[in-house]
Amino acid sequence: MDHFPTNWGNPRSEDVDSYNTYPISSHIGKVPHSVTQIAGYGHTTGHPTSHTLQPVVTGTSVLGIKFKGGVMMAADNLASYGSLARFRDVERLHQVADFTVLGASGDISDYQYVKHLIDSQMIKEYNADDGHTLATPNIYEYLWRVMYNRRSKMNPLWNTFVLGGVHQGKSFLGAIDLKGTPYQAPSIATGFGSHLAQPILRKELETRGGEDNITEEQAVEILKKSMKVLWYRDARSMNKFQLAKITAEGVTISEPMSVETEWAFAEKIRGYGA
Amino acid sequence: MFSTYPGQAVIDHPVSAPIEHRFDPYVDNGGTLLSIAGNDFCVVAADTRQSEGYSINSRYVPKSVKLSDKTVISMGGCYADCLTLTKRIQQSMEWYHHAHGKVMSTAAVAQMLSIMLYQKRFFPFYSWCILGGLDEEGKGAVYTYDPVGSYERETCRCAGSASSLIQPFLDNQINFKNQESRQRTLTKDEVLRITKDSFTSATERDIYTGDYLEIFVITNTGVEVQKIDLKKD
Amino acid sequence: MDSLVAKYSNSASTSFDTEDSLNNNSGGWDAASQFALPSFDIPLVANPVDFLRAHTDPSAENRIRIQHGTTTLAFKFQGGIVVAVDSRASGGSYIASQTVKKVIEINPYLLGTMAGGAADCQYWERELGRRCRLYELRNKERISVAAASKILSNMVYDYKGMGLSMGTMITGWDKTGPQLFYVDSDGSRLRGEKFSVGSGSTFAYGVLDTGYDYNLSVPDAIELGRRAIYHATHRDAYSGGSINIFHVKESGWSFEGNYDVGALHWEYQALPKGPIA
Repeated sequence: MDHFPTNWGNPRSEDVDSYNTYPISSHIGKVPHSVTQIAGYGHTTGHPTSHTLQPVVTGTSVLGIKFKGGVMMAADNLASYGSLARFRDVERLHQVADFTVLGASGDISDYQYVKHLIDSQMIKEYNADDGHTLATPNIYEYLWRVMYNRRSKMNPLWNTFVLGGVHQGKSFLGAIDLKGTPYQAPSIATGFGSHLAQPILRKELETRGGEDNITEEQAVEILKKSMKVLWYRDARSMNKFQLAKITAEGVTISEPMSVETEWAFAEKIRGYGA
Repeated sequence: MFSTYPGQAVIDHPVSAPIEHRFDPYVDNGGTLLSIAGNDFCVVAADTRQSEGYSINSRYVPKSVKLSDKTVISMGGCYADCLTLTKRIQQSMEWYHHAHGKVMSTAAVAQMLSIMLYQKRFFPFYSWCILGGLDEEGKGAVYTYDPVGSYERETCRCAGSASSLIQPFLDNQINFKNQESRQRTLTKDEVLRITKDSFTSATERDIYTGDYLEIFVITNTGVEVQKIDLKKD
Repeated sequence: MDSLVAKYSNSASTSFDTEDSLNNNSGGWDAASQFALPSFDIPLVANPVDFLRAHTDPSAENRIRIQHGTTTLAFKFQGGIVVAVDSRASGGSYIASQTVKKVIEINPYLLGTMAGGAADCQYWERELGRRCRLYELRNKERISVAAASKILSNMVYDYKGMGLSMGTMITGWDKTGPQLFYVDSDGSRLRGEKFSVGSGSTFAYGVLDTGYDYNLSVPDAIELGRRAIYHATHRDAYSGGSINIFHVKESGWSFEGNYDVGALHWEYQALPKGPIA
């Protein structure tokens, strides 16, 4: 036995597998305690299974803020392919239920898959015709399990999702990332927005005295301001975005809109404009 | 390519084999938790900040959950793992309740949690667990765990991002370590005071600790919860 | 039938993941059979051993620090067996605990010690206790120490190379008298008179070999064990806390006390020094 404590509990040096235990899958059948899930080998090849290791076509930040009586969300209509602004009319806010909106940043194809999953689930619930529908917290829990199970299979869905909704008279705003980390907060901003927009959202909430002191109109203004800041500094953003409003009356997702911007200052900055 | 016949040393980082670029399933969401056992009570406390790197995800995500009138669990580390583990404990406790017609005792939950953690010995839950509650005799009990399930009953324990700041303080104030004074049992109010001091101080020096302090006080009349402000910077 | 067809007609184009099995991460765990034979989740990567290494390595970004136990010893003498251990657990350089119980009471006649991964020792020695109890119920007699230690050895050998770390001494008194075995996670199982395991073992052996005599009286043997662990805690950074001593005799084991090494140090300092006898 190795008597040095810092080596304890760790598998041995990776240079030499002195016990010839690799691949572990050769253990199957030999291990009486049934190692139940075994390495992600392709069954015949012995090669590692390849999974999504990076997003491809991506959407940037999604913002969300609670206000009195509901939740307002924003996301632009761009799907980037690396630095290429590849698709300029992608809707990243999706109504999943009467009072629930899903916003997605990260890999667009994974988002479309999740959209399909949740929509299928909603249809299944509808078909049961038992008078029940999935409310925002239920959808949130479902989405969390999907994300966590995919990360546990080492095959994550490369997104950060924001779920906004209204349930039993209270507004709901939560996020889930590719590692299955769920959190709820009065304001949420994903991706670049967590650095650029979240401070603005938090400041607005703080100075106005919390979500109950923000009106629908103010929420729109706050999000527009934040989207403008993102458009100025996030190179993967676009000045064409949608807002989603969720209140007890239901969901409205706006037509794409843009904000007035001012670039004249660029003239005076060396290396910025002409 | 993977020769496995005996005697052959297999060195398999062969040139032809694909090298697996791996996804890291873990993230440290920070946060600090502690539990102190008294004579006839137990205190479980944790801050509510959830972080990811230098960003704060949310200022209020509770780390402790009441499992029964006599048991509270608190966890820190990878929040997704912690929440999953908490749900599994709750489900098992419900099954136990249905099967045996009684609520699971703190000691039983403690042993079960150890096994649950060990079942993921080769793909561990990244979680620091502290189980606080009352034992069968009504005495305060604190059980602490490492991520793969080794556990021990103690009188007090702090875990999480500021554990190395708070634990020495608790050793001194709760267990009277390196103090000339005689050991004595602390009252609930004294323990609460020490708990609050621990967290306000840790908030000053640990970036992952702050926002709110949620304290669960377990006595034979049930579980009481207090929420106290911590600094939000 | 349909499920059989589905099972064997797998092709790449039809295996679209529907996320139906949302509890897949739990290793087939279900509440009804949770107390059956152990099963473990393995990460779905090409080499799970690499995975565990990457996440427990000191350089890992989100490092999982597994607690470790450290100096343990046991020796046979005319009065049975003395088992002495320290109580420190470290996770990296942090002292995770100074109050670890490193002697695991498997049953009233069997003791196991803990060195290596704390969870590995606790879990497998508990599993051993369960199997020894089953043996008793089936055979109407207590299991021999040799058989018990072999069960343990065989259990952990199945997981060889996967990162388990356990260096333990299994002691007890059976039909053949006092018995002492060393069992570790590499697969070794040795019968012996005198063992010390852990990073402080070299220091403990020094004291033990110097003072050992088979004909030692019980109090002297206990004192020798205590002194050997004390010296190990003094010189080995990974050992410390307090000393727990057990005595194995024909009627089973008995606990012989807990001694804080902080206080013990000054006690030993006060004793007159002299040449080694």
